[in-house]
Amino acid sequence: MTTWHVDPELLARYARGEVAETQAFSVEAHLPTCAHCRSALGPLTDRERHERVWLEVVDDLDAGQSTWVERLLVRLGVAGHSARLLAATPSLRGSWLAAVAVALGFAVVAAHGGHDGLVVFLLLAPVLPVAGVAAAYGPGIDPTYEVGVAAPMSGSRLLLLRSVAVLIVTTVLAGVAAVLLPGIGWEAIAWLLPALGLTLVTLALATATGPLRAAGLVALAWAGVAWAVWRLTDDGFALFGQAGQLTMVFLAVASAAVVAARRDRFDQGGAR
Amino acid sequence: MSVEVAGVAKHYGRTRAVDDVTFTAGNGILGLLGPNGAGKTTLLRMLATVLAPDSGTLRLLGRDPGNTTQRTQLRRRLGYLPQEPGFHRGFSAFAFVDYVAILKEHTERRARHDEVRRVLRVVGLEEVAGRRIRALSGGMRRRVALAQALLGDPALLVLDEPTAGLDPEQRLRFRELVSRLAEHRTVVLSTHQTEDVAALCQRVLVMDHGRVLLDGPPGEVAAVAAGRMWMSSEPPAGALLSWRTAEGRWRNLGTPPAGAELAAPTVEDGYLLLVGVPERKAIA
Repeated sequence: MTTWHVDPELLARYARGEVAETQAFSVEAHLPTCAHCRSALGPLTDRERHERVWLEVVDDLDAGQSTWVERLLVRLGVAGHSARLLAATPSLRGSWLAAVAVALGFAVVAAHGGHDGLVVFLLLAPVLPVAGVAAAYGPGIDPTYEVGVAAPMSGSRLLLLRSVAVLIVTTVLAGVAAVLLPGIGWEAIAWLLPALGLTLVTLALATATGPLRAAGLVALAWAGVAWAVWRLTDDGFALFGQAGQLTMVFLAVASAAVVAARRDRFDQGGAR
Repeated sequence: MSVEVAGVAKHYGRTRAVDDVTFTAGNGILGLLGPNGAGKTTLLRMLATVLAPDSGTLRLLGRDPGNTTQRTQLRRRLGYLPQEPGFHRGFSAFAFVDYVAILKEHTERRARHDEVRRVLRVVGLEEVAGRRIRALSGGMRRRVALAQALLGDPALLVLDEPTAGLDPEQRLRFRELVSRLAEHRTVVLSTHQTEDVAALCQRVLVMDHGRVLLDGPPGEVAAVAAGRMWMSSEPPAGALLSWRTAEGRWRNLGTPPAGAELAAPTVEDGYLLLVGVPERKAIA
């Protein structure tokens, strides 16, 4: 039995939700052991506020613990409903991101081995977001794809939302890896435009073939072009020169136009 | 009419999955009955706006699913349970239904969570809402999938084999639930279970090889076997199918011999005759 009681003025402010968190913790630690303060608190409590707080508690209990990706996105300012849609992206899972980090790690190690290794890094970095987009949404990729297609939110909006998130995350990872490259120069960012261009080409092609096949075709084409340019010019960096970068800008703009014109193609499923 | 289907066809390569299907449906339960590969799932996917037909016309809730704007309006009033609904790894039942609610444009958190709680209560899963889906039984997962289809109180419910994986009690509860839902909306469901059709559906389409073989009430399906079911104490030679009943007598399907003791046909009997019995089999 306690002989100490909460100051009536503090108790009134606590009931109105006007005290600092530390003071609230003190009051809440005291209340379970003090019938006097509990009975004093009752008449001070605003019923409407009490109902609202109780509903929030019930809501949080029902909603349960969200995934770390979702919590992180909300902390970064992403709206709760968008964070939940993004958290379900297969290519934003920890295991996927770890695989991307490992691939980049190997490429950085190769880059420290010499010129050819640096070219390998530049060729790999733009392909990673392409793979991420392929694994972001689509039949056989997203387990809820069928239900999602029948929902009013357009498939193109969901795919673009997830693609942007994948592109940002992969770019950040590749950017961190680029900082670790030997003798940082223009090569450290030479992969940026190709990454954007190839991602948009993948999305444009996906309007006809679906994301998975589109990504495979783009990755193959990228590897083929890189090999051909390297052989013809005997310079691994030639693909990332001015002409190459301008080509990527053109491809990005043209692909964005194709995606805008054909976005309805993402709104219906294919054969099963 | 909520559902108007006229001359609809869908091909996969050379296979005609749905071939010139025509029917209409209003409030109540329409059942699609047929063997595997009959075209039920393809037809339901078209009704769920997931798949576009190659030819023919569809009007659902008065809207054309081929038109982007009308398709979105239609999807706001549509509930769909796919044959094999998938779940995101690690989501709880609540989080999964909440995720689908977001796809269904319920963006305001409090109202959305109220709606999620409502549909989980309707399917009797409010007690396990916070449990991970991978920890739920097959029947419970099926009910979670059904819950997402009920979000937003849809006017058209498309359910692909909703009773698959449910135990007898769950099936009875499902029948009770769907019967109540169908009082003020259109429910189109597919099933292999002739008992479900007989117990639930006001109308049934019997399908095979993409075509509708019969469109009518369940009694009409049973009537196909009228005069072709008989009982005997020994397995007869000329029956298409014979099986021994719990009473130890033989129930036979086919052309009965003169003076045979005819039995009242069931939906299952009529269905077997409609889809064809490929060869004589004795089931003892």
